[in-house]
Amino acid sequence: MSVSLFVGSAEEEEFRADVIRFISEYRGLNGFHFQGSKWPEVKALYRAIGQCGWMSIGWSDAAGGLGRSAVREFILWDEMAYARVARPPLGAGIVAKTLIAHGTEAQKQKWLPPIRAGEKFFSLGYSEPGAGSDLAGLSTRADLHGDHYVVTGEKCWTSYAQDSDYLWTLVRTGAVEDRGRGLSLMILDLHAPGVSVRPLPTIDGEQLNQVVLDAVEVPVEHRIGPENAAWRLVKDALDVERHVQFPPARLRRDLEELVAWLRKHEHELDPVVQRTVAALGVGVFEVEALALLVLESVVKGRPGDVEAAQNKLAHAELSQKIARAPFELGLSEALIYGPIEFLYRQSTWETIGGGTSEIMRSVVARQGLGLGGRS
Amino acid sequence: MDFTLTETQQSIVDSAAKLLTKHAGPKRARQVLATSGYDPELASALREAGFLSLMKETGALEAAMVTEAISARAGLVHFGAAAMVAPALGMEIDEPVALSRQRGPVRYGASAKTLLILDGADVRVRRVDSGEARPMRSNFGFPFAELPADGGERLSGAGAKMRAWWRVVLAVEIAGALRGCLTFTTDYVKERRQFGRAIGSFQAIQHRLADCVVLTEASRWLAYEAAFQGAPDDGAEVAISYAAAAARRVFHEVHQMNGAIGFTREHDLHVWSMRLQALALEMGGA
Repeated sequence: MSVSLFVGSAEEEEFRADVIRFISEYRGLNGFHFQGSKWPEVKALYRAIGQCGWMSIGWSDAAGGLGRSAVREFILWDEMAYARVARPPLGAGIVAKTLIAHGTEAQKQKWLPPIRAGEKFFSLGYSEPGAGSDLAGLSTRADLHGDHYVVTGEKCWTSYAQDSDYLWTLVRTGAVEDRGRGLSLMILDLHAPGVSVRPLPTIDGEQLNQVVLDAVEVPVEHRIGPENAAWRLVKDALDVERHVQFPPARLRRDLEELVAWLRKHEHELDPVVQRTVAALGVGVFEVEALALLVLESVVKGRPGDVEAAQNKLAHAELSQKIARAPFELGLSEALIYGPIEFLYRQSTWETIGGGTSEIMRSVVARQGLGLGGRS
Repeated sequence: MDFTLTETQQSIVDSAAKLLTKHAGPKRARQVLATSGYDPELASALREAGFLSLMKETGALEAAMVTEAISARAGLVHFGAAAMVAPALGMEIDEPVALSRQRGPVRYGASAKTLLILDGADVRVRRVDSGEARPMRSNFGFPFAELPADGGERLSGAGAKMRAWWRVVLAVEIAGALRGCLTFTTDYVKERRQFGRAIGSFQAIQHRLADCVVLTEASRWLAYEAAFQGAPDDGAEVAISYAAAAARRVFHEVHQMNGAIGFTREHDLHVWSMRLQALALEMGGA
């Protein structure tokens, strides 16, 4: 990264240099946006990250990690985002960190080593056809039958399910009226009988998935934490993972690609173009500052819901502003297939996936400002 | 001041709607886009029903109404070029017609038999021979191609007229695509339930959708007014610049309201929404 607000300690910057050296072998991969179509290559990359010990860089020594601070994780995944090579896998983040905090010894033994090695992969099975923003209203049922649960329902808009081994999933074990207090977390084998994964092609040319669960048997020891106590676990997991979810360097890279494209099409001397680009450049610093507030909350172990919401809001909106600039500027070359119009299509997702901008605004207003209303 | 359709206009709009129910719609648009991107069946249905001669026989406003309806039903024909721009230049020419600014992607370029080239103060009319068009890959809901812009028969001094009518046609097409997006989204927010109620009952959605209605209605009437007045330069400029700005804004709003479902290609929203940008950029974003 050429210019950034963030400068770490000497050791941290040395680590960044190591990461950049490591990435140099993978330049041009673009697993950040095309993980689905580049899966064999991305999988190999994850395995190599595992071999460096970086999959588990922030895990405690006891859990088999390197015990480093969240700053290293931020540097690692921010550089990966800048180079467009990969996103942080769900397994090494939310899954592993929840297992470390709330899992049984047997669960840690079973899943942490293959996650650390970059060999087993997880998809997030939260959203359902009837439960997007209203996650607490989800209806996939898990009923206990002796030593296993029988899970029936449907998850959708599930990223990467086509290539994953497991679904990290929220299911209803309690009453519907109990909303968030009737949910449990489970690890569900995506290759188990009764699971079908169907692609949902998306406007960015990649895919999300529908995951239909038809009486899938899940061993009771694959439930994480107590029954009906998932809501708290889900929230705790976000607290320790939110600093890597929306890497600001992705936006710096988007802007650099926009500038290169404007240059290639000989628009860079147009004063209106220059003003637009300058405003977007300020926006990149804005989002970096907000991302660093999130990082601070994670480093200091503080709840950072509001910081995370304002960061996600600004990050998502800036990604769209950058992608939409050629269209606002009236440059019809932007209609032809290529990296710039790709960003236009892809960034449509940013204000929706991982919590819509409407939900983020509500968090800032209700929790940040105490304005009241349902939270 | 009378915004009520005359009997003749109402019957034109009704018969166009009937034809389009049969020959257009999002499902048909997906099929056509998977092949050439141009729908010859719809084009011939429109020709046989006499819609191509509306401009001469009835008026530009009525031709604009049909152009809007085709766009709202996601039809893939360049009706506005053949039924409005060409007749405005006093020409009866072979369909399909495409419009060129000499450079940049040409909408329906690969299917066109005739190309109207805007060349400063003049227009050139050029036949397109097979093999001349180079299709360009795009995700913006129409077929595009690069075409040679040399030669052709010169119509001296016709440039201003072509430019103004082209702008009116684009504004009308944007108005139709906006209506398509809005109708689809309104149905969706009524049906989609979260937190125990239709998401359309949330004020945060209602206010934004209401803004989209304003943008869509004003786009349509500004475009119709420009057509009715015979495409005066200022009227055409106002119509396209308003509609292009509306297109950029409404795209963003309707995608947000359709959420994750609207990001998938199974949902029909993209059939209309992606076109908005292509139409808004065709004359340089206005």
